[in-house]
Amino acid sequence: MEYKILKKDQIIKLYNDLTKDYNFFAPIKEKRNIVFRKITNPEEIVLDYLNSKVPPKEILFPEKDILFEYKINDNEIELEEPKNLNEQNIIFGIRPCDAHSFVLLVNFFSQGDFKDEIIINRRKNTILIGIGCNTPKSTCFCTSVEGNPFQKDYMDVFLVDLQNEYLVEGISDKGKDLIKKLSWLADAKEMDIEKAQELKKQAEESITTKLDLKDIDKILDPNFDHPIWKEVSETCIGCGTCSFLCPTCTCFDVIDENVPNKNRGRRIRIWDTCQSCLYTLHTSGHNPRNSCIQRVRNRILHKFCYYPENYGMLGCVGCGRCVQLCPVNNDLRTIIEKIKKIEPKREEKVSA
Amino acid sequence: MVIENENKEIEQLIRDLAGKLLEEKQVDVIIGYTEGTVPLSSSPIVIDKAEDVDKLIWNNLCYINLAKYLVPRIPTLMNEEGQKLKVGIVSKGCVGRALIHLSVEHQLDLESIKIIGIPCNGIINRKKIEDEIGEREIFDISVSGDNIIVKGRDFEKVFPFNEYMNELCKVCQVKSPPFLEDICVGECLENPVIEDDFSDIAEFDSKTTEEKWEYIKSLLETCTRCYACREACPMCYCNLCFVDQNQPVWFGKTTGYSDIFVFHLVRAMHMAGRCVGCGACSSACPMGIDLNLINRSLEKIAKERFNFTTGIDPRSLPPMMAYDIEDKEEFMMEED
Amino acid sequence: MPNPYIPMLTKIKTVVSENKVNDIKTLELVFKKEEDLKSFDYNPGQFAEISLIGKGECPIGIASSPTEEGSIKFTIKKMGTVTTGFHNVEIGDTVGVRGPLGNGWPIEEMKGKNIVIIGGGFAFSTLRSLVVYFLDERYRNNYKDITVIYGNRDSGEVLYRDILEEWEKRDDINVVLTIDREEEGWTREVGFVAAVVKKVAPSPDNAIAVVCGPPIMIRTAVAELVNLGWKDEQILNSLEMRMKCGVGKCGRCNIGNKFVCIDGPVFSLAELKKIPNEY
Repeated sequence: MEYKILKKDQIIKLYNDLTKDYNFFAPIKEKRNIVFRKITNPEEIVLDYLNSKVPPKEILFPEKDILFEYKINDNEIELEEPKNLNEQNIIFGIRPCDAHSFVLLVNFFSQGDFKDEIIINRRKNTILIGIGCNTPKSTCFCTSVEGNPFQKDYMDVFLVDLQNEYLVEGISDKGKDLIKKLSWLADAKEMDIEKAQELKKQAEESITTKLDLKDIDKILDPNFDHPIWKEVSETCIGCGTCSFLCPTCTCFDVIDENVPNKNRGRRIRIWDTCQSCLYTLHTSGHNPRNSCIQRVRNRILHKFCYYPENYGMLGCVGCGRCVQLCPVNNDLRTIIEKIKKIEPKREEKVSA
Repeated sequence: MVIENENKEIEQLIRDLAGKLLEEKQVDVIIGYTEGTVPLSSSPIVIDKAEDVDKLIWNNLCYINLAKYLVPRIPTLMNEEGQKLKVGIVSKGCVGRALIHLSVEHQLDLESIKIIGIPCNGIINRKKIEDEIGEREIFDISVSGDNIIVKGRDFEKVFPFNEYMNELCKVCQVKSPPFLEDICVGECLENPVIEDDFSDIAEFDSKTTEEKWEYIKSLLETCTRCYACREACPMCYCNLCFVDQNQPVWFGKTTGYSDIFVFHLVRAMHMAGRCVGCGACSSACPMGIDLNLINRSLEKIAKERFNFTTGIDPRSLPPMMAYDIEDKEEFMMEED
Repeated sequence: MPNPYIPMLTKIKTVVSENKVNDIKTLELVFKKEEDLKSFDYNPGQFAEISLIGKGECPIGIASSPTEEGSIKFTIKKMGTVTTGFHNVEIGDTVGVRGPLGNGWPIEEMKGKNIVIIGGGFAFSTLRSLVVYFLDERYRNNYKDITVIYGNRDSGEVLYRDILEEWEKRDDINVVLTIDREEEGWTREVGFVAAVVKKVAPSPDNAIAVVCGPPIMIRTAVAELVNLGWKDEQILNSLEMRMKCGVGKCGRCNIGNKFVCIDGPVFSLAELKKIPNEY
């Protein structure tokens, strides 16, 4: 059987079975926010959340990540690979948009001659047990960015909340194997699967934000100097909320962190944001993106122009976090609408 | 109290004055608030035409301190030739206070602005409402009578406004900007007298140092160091913030315990005698960290030790800018 | 595939102060491991991320040429924390190196062409690498006439004086050195680089120009080349950007959809005109 049923009170059993072999990450309420944490108490799990405040990106690409460790003895220096890269993880309860972001993250970090093995390895060792969004938020627009609230393609196992129980479906081979191990799962009935179909339809219909993003890169590319950029950056205060809480932002800074009074330390990367004026500041004082206009433009172009140009897909998964959390309500959806209204430039005739 | 009527009146006041200032060319642009695109939000807006005044609104979600847009670091308010524009700024009390304090710190020439004074009737504590609603989406929020009405998919909840106001608004005694001749229009306070007993933080104050430490530790735990607090704060205008110092690096940039602490505690020190109590930092924080107890404590110290209230009088120097032989300094020797 | 953020370890073999004010030094590094030396197979114009473990890392153009076997050289100006660290090192100290990185000068495309190399000030390091490569007896015949125009504020700022004097003595390369103002004892050209370009008037026929230097020098020198009939495709630049990873991941060196660290740092003027002016 492909479909199984997990009763709501069996989550503890599921956790107990899986936590022996895996680090078990799940959404919990920490202070006032839903965040993904490696849990030790399955009763803390919150599955009927709207959207986590910090995306589960932080499991693959933590805010602070060790690149290597070093020991300095006189002039002999020893370097060590980061540890724990081969630990097996499960991310339980991840939403389709956030799972979609993992595809983008891994795609980006696998590009070129230098592959980021730290992140690629973590992803390889991570199983996603995702869950469909029965009630997407009004700020969600996953259906505009090649996703949908029941997108299961990027999951290993996919759950649908049927109110009293979850429908469980193995998607990848890894996921199917995992379900085989959980032999106590009951088989699903035809009506459960039908109910899930109905919920999927309802969820998709409930998404009201529809953005036409087709060929948006072709509008953006020739309009680098359009006055719209001044307009959409006028009220930006230059904080990093939009990028720090974005599931697809990947920029980082690298620093050496020494352990005080010990001859050792580590080179770490930490999240950085293109919205900070220091991000591109040269030591000489020259700054290629000195103004807020340039920085806001870079963020939008990165997601909707550069990423599609380079990799053939949009760099946004439509989670709506930046829309919801921008302190000055500089709404990405409004920005996109304004971009779509840019009059196409007339083709300049090239004289032969 | 009928809040929605107050809001309508304030909104009309803003639109009338803004229209007049623009028509008479007393200002080039008006900075004000406009309707937000998501519930529990509002958005700052800059308009330069009198016919756009209807875009200006007032409601109890106008939490951003607009004075931020006049600090020298934000260079957007210039014309094509790079000349500074003459700005009219919609000012609730704490915006007015921020403007005055910025002028005291020589960051702003008050002569070049027009303060559109409005009698603020309080800002809704978004975080507290979100906490109560939990993991359900809010579709609409409005005020009616003296209540806040919050609606979602299958629910409607009513919150008394005076309880679900920002903590700082509850104790605010400067609801309109202090009056300044030739600079202020609209409703302002002449010679504001402030009698603050700080009873709102009495409980926090009575805690032991250890208890306060525990509170602050737990408060700051979720900080992601996005710096939204700093960027929303009208008093954070340094060209290079101490956290960004890298020659040499002053302290680490991670969200590890000690790094977060150094950031927030040093920032708090920098706010002493400078915080105008607008709450923009807490409203802006995506993680919902509420800094009001820290900020109020600083305000209390400035008041008790130096009899100073920030942003009331453009001629009075703040404690950190002035020395007086009578300055209390027993805290230097304090042991506790 | 190894972790791309872990440097190879080298030891400092020599340190040479390059200018009178002593804020530019050239470090010569030897790899601690034989296999690292072998894997460091580079072209002129490439760069590396070099680091002092515990202090930090920065991207620096490789000043040596692959023809100078056994060691690599970096010329470093004292600017920030890490570069200042590099000015306080001693012979024998350990330096981390990640590289070679970036595309480098297109030495294959340059074959069979006249080469004009125009440099200003401190930005001469990867040009040194290129010229040393061209002058190697194994490769000299692959290229036609070579002209080097190198300008500095004053004579005290001229880098690589010994090797420049050697080049001046050779007859298979035309070296034109200039300083901004007259100075006692200076017998070469005087004037800004652009003026010297105008005077030397290199022909664009079957030629490629390489221009490196401060922004104002690049602008004026390129304008002179254009006046002389050079096409954008014939003029090459090497860009500098703030970088952290050097391998196209940290994000900050993007100009439009290009990353300077992997798609550059060498771009032709024609390529630069296609990307946003954010450098």
